[in-house]
Amino acid sequence: MSTAPRSRPSSLAIAGWLVAAAFGIALAAWVVLNAGTIWNSFFPPQAKSVEGQEIRNLYDIVFIFAVVIFAVVEGLIIWSVIRYRRKPGDDELPPQTHGNNLAEITWTLIPTVIVLFLFVVSWQTLNSVEAVSPDPGLKVRAVAGQFQWSFDYLPTDATGDTKALFTVTAPVGPDGGLVLPAGQVTHLYLKSPDVIHAFYVPQFLFKRDVVPGLTNQFDLDIPASDAGQTYRGQCAELCGVGHRIMLFEVHALAQADFKAWMDKQIAAANATPPPAPSGAAAGPSIPLVAQNVKFDQSTLTVPATGFTIHYDNKDAGTPHDFVILDNAGSKVYGSPVVTGPKGADFPVPAIAAGTYKFECSIHPTLMFGTLTVQ
Amino acid sequence: MATTTLTPAASAYRTGLYEWLTTTDHKRIGILYIVNSFIFFFIGGLFALGVRTELAQPGLQFVHDELLYNQLFTMHGTVMIFLFIIPMLVGFGNYVAPLQIGAPDMAFPRINALSFWMLPLAGVLLLMGFLTGGAAQAGWTSYSPLAQDRPLSSTGPGEDLWIMALTLIGTSSILGGINFLVTIFKMRAPGMTMFRMPILVWTVLVTSVLVVMATPVLTSALIMLFIDRNYGGHFFDPGGPNGGGGSAILWQNVFWFYSHPAVYIMVLPAMGMISEILPVFSRKPLFGYKAFVFATAGIGALGFSVWAHHMFTTGQVFLPFFSLMTFLIAVPTGVKMFNWIFTLFRGKLTFSTPLLFALGFLSMFLIGGINGAFSAAVPVDFALQDTYWVVAHLHYVLFGGSVFGVMAGLYYWFPKMTGRMLNETLGKIQFVLMFVGFNLTFFPMHQLGLAGMPRRIADYASDAGWNDLNLAATIGGFTIAASTLPLIWNVFSSLRAGKPAGDDPWEANTLEWATSSPPPPYNFDHLPEIRSERPLFDLRHGRTVVH
Repeated sequence: MSTAPRSRPSSLAIAGWLVAAAFGIALAAWVVLNAGTIWNSFFPPQAKSVEGQEIRNLYDIVFIFAVVIFAVVEGLIIWSVIRYRRKPGDDELPPQTHGNNLAEITWTLIPTVIVLFLFVVSWQTLNSVEAVSPDPGLKVRAVAGQFQWSFDYLPTDATGDTKALFTVTAPVGPDGGLVLPAGQVTHLYLKSPDVIHAFYVPQFLFKRDVVPGLTNQFDLDIPASDAGQTYRGQCAELCGVGHRIMLFEVHALAQADFKAWMDKQIAAANATPPPAPSGAAAGPSIPLVAQNVKFDQSTLTVPATGFTIHYDNKDAGTPHDFVILDNAGSKVYGSPVVTGPKGADFPVPAIAAGTYKFECSIHPTLMFGTLTVQ
Repeated sequence: MATTTLTPAASAYRTGLYEWLTTTDHKRIGILYIVNSFIFFFIGGLFALGVRTELAQPGLQFVHDELLYNQLFTMHGTVMIFLFIIPMLVGFGNYVAPLQIGAPDMAFPRINALSFWMLPLAGVLLLMGFLTGGAAQAGWTSYSPLAQDRPLSSTGPGEDLWIMALTLIGTSSILGGINFLVTIFKMRAPGMTMFRMPILVWTVLVTSVLVVMATPVLTSALIMLFIDRNYGGHFFDPGGPNGGGGSAILWQNVFWFYSHPAVYIMVLPAMGMISEILPVFSRKPLFGYKAFVFATAGIGALGFSVWAHHMFTTGQVFLPFFSLMTFLIAVPTGVKMFNWIFTLFRGKLTFSTPLLFALGFLSMFLIGGINGAFSAAVPVDFALQDTYWVVAHLHYVLFGGSVFGVMAGLYYWFPKMTGRMLNETLGKIQFVLMFVGFNLTFFPMHQLGLAGMPRRIADYASDAGWNDLNLAATIGGFTIAASTLPLIWNVFSSLRAGKPAGDDPWEANTLEWATSSPPPPYNFDHLPEIRSERPLFDLRHGRTVVH
């Protein structure tokens, strides 16, 4: 700790300060120009469920406390640092304060009161968010498996394991996803046949783990005013190589639309499947095995006159299908969904010679290959 | 002061490799711990750069194999926690604690060596996964059933190697914890009462209690997981090809029963280090020494009742209890924060690199505490759990807290360990780069989490609105990487030609500065009288004498 007179700052130090100042000014300008966006980024998205709105209100309370505490404590640090620098040549000791019991009691009690308050308000919100309606308008079982969601629609007197009225196997798209009535309470059951997943919709500010061996459940209440909206959901618990592709959509329908959709689905599920067209096994039979969310073949060669895919889904509880796409990505052929372990024959009509892509439309990033038509 | 004429050039040690491999000297073992930990810091950092590079933009550009991506973040977390932060703090404790209590060595020098040498072995085992068909890929939390040996889960030996490595590290920790406890209770110099011990020694003491109580739980769980995977046990697997009966939630309970106290294992000694540094560079005693001791013990005790706050979204936790306990643990942490600030208050601050990093610790750990309160509010945690918010939170605690503390400690004790000062200019450059890079990396993760980006995904939709924040975080990650270059250069150039340190370059308070730099084997020729928690201060100001 030298007592020598202060030397002139080095050119390196000056350059450093200039860079820092320029950086600081640029940062300040950017913050001012984007103040609104930046402010909003400190909050969750606007909540689209009744429960989510309550969580958002709680977030706002915690946020206010956080900002005030941060400002006070960080302010104290910065002020102490600026105010109590040691002057060059100052060798005198500052007063040797060892502590102050009153101060210790103060900064024990005040934080205790604050955290107890936060605990009580969050407990109240918790009770409200966790509350389950005795009379939900709809019961749905969301089944999360590696790596797709499917949604079983249950009778309203169902429990978690009741047989589904019908199942939506495609997790996204206009014909898939979790379709819910806006303005009605939906009771959700969560089931996993394999590993832990998590049901997460950012705009509901909510997630719940899907644990194998257990059935978690909760209520979801989308306000009637949000009918017609679609929300993105995603698995939030690491579940393996396909974790990030476990997307799903929630479609909120007006109650009348929802009833029409539900009736149509039930009718389709009860309809007798059409008999396989006679002589369907046109052309050669091509075996294709789906196992561990992979096809056993990456290339298939077939005649242009038509052929039959002898499909074998060996993944228990996991749905797969077989889709042919042309170079532009449009669907040339699509099979029904097969939930394993189960086999099926898919007769494919004649298609023009050329190179196509085949895939499982539920697991397109993991299950695909090249189809050569000769 | 010790009347010694040793100069840095005339090392008290033989320097042969054989000497380093066979040493039982706590100071050499401490240095081995620190060097080994830094090597794994760089390895773990490379894994993180791989993750950040992939996430810089939407689309898969860098890590095309998503299994490899899962391996990268799994090994990043595992290496940083089990092979960098924990052993690094053990290393500082090993070097400094016996000196600070005036002891000649640890109580069990050979067990001390054994504890250390398990670590490089464990590290090699862990990393060998990459050569045997893929390292562990189930996250550092290794949740079952994803960690089970099943198709689409963790097939292959990588996960088994992970279990073996962690079992070794756990055993090493337990031995080290017992060693510290015996040393601190039985080997203090005359006059060094419990309430005159430096705060660093107190934090090592509480940490050792946590280690001895919590680590056996993890080690047992690891062995059970190994049995699950290899011998058809059903501890943690509710399903599987041979039927089930196990509980996926049980793994989380036992895992976090260790791994939450482990957060305090990773942060208490860093708190202890800056509690040594702040008074020295403020030229004041630590404000509220006893409050500090009680707060440390309080954190240690409460630390055992908050583990399930990692499991709020499982639907299988008694939420109000764990929420209350989690909120309450903020109180002793807050007490520490105010005591640190009032140590600075009315002091005379010298802005050497150790103080800069200690101030970095204060301001960053503050954020890590406050953003933790959001997750203690259970319904808010329903929104934030498993998003990037949690990644931000844990890095503000473990990087903003522990790593900044480690850097402060390195600049502070390097002169004692080597006899040479580290270069101040390089130190300040490193601090600025690391501070800016750290905030640029981890602050945007709060906003990413609020916007709904889950952890542990290799890719995200380009229209999700996460692009800019991810790019910022990646640029920050590379800035952190750049900040290690002045550090490396500083260490090597100062070892060769740094300014000689002398016994006590900082006008410090505690006994390690009463002996030569580096200290001779068995540490002390003479000890000053110990009448307070600042024996050297008392000596310097003529209140006591050397016997």
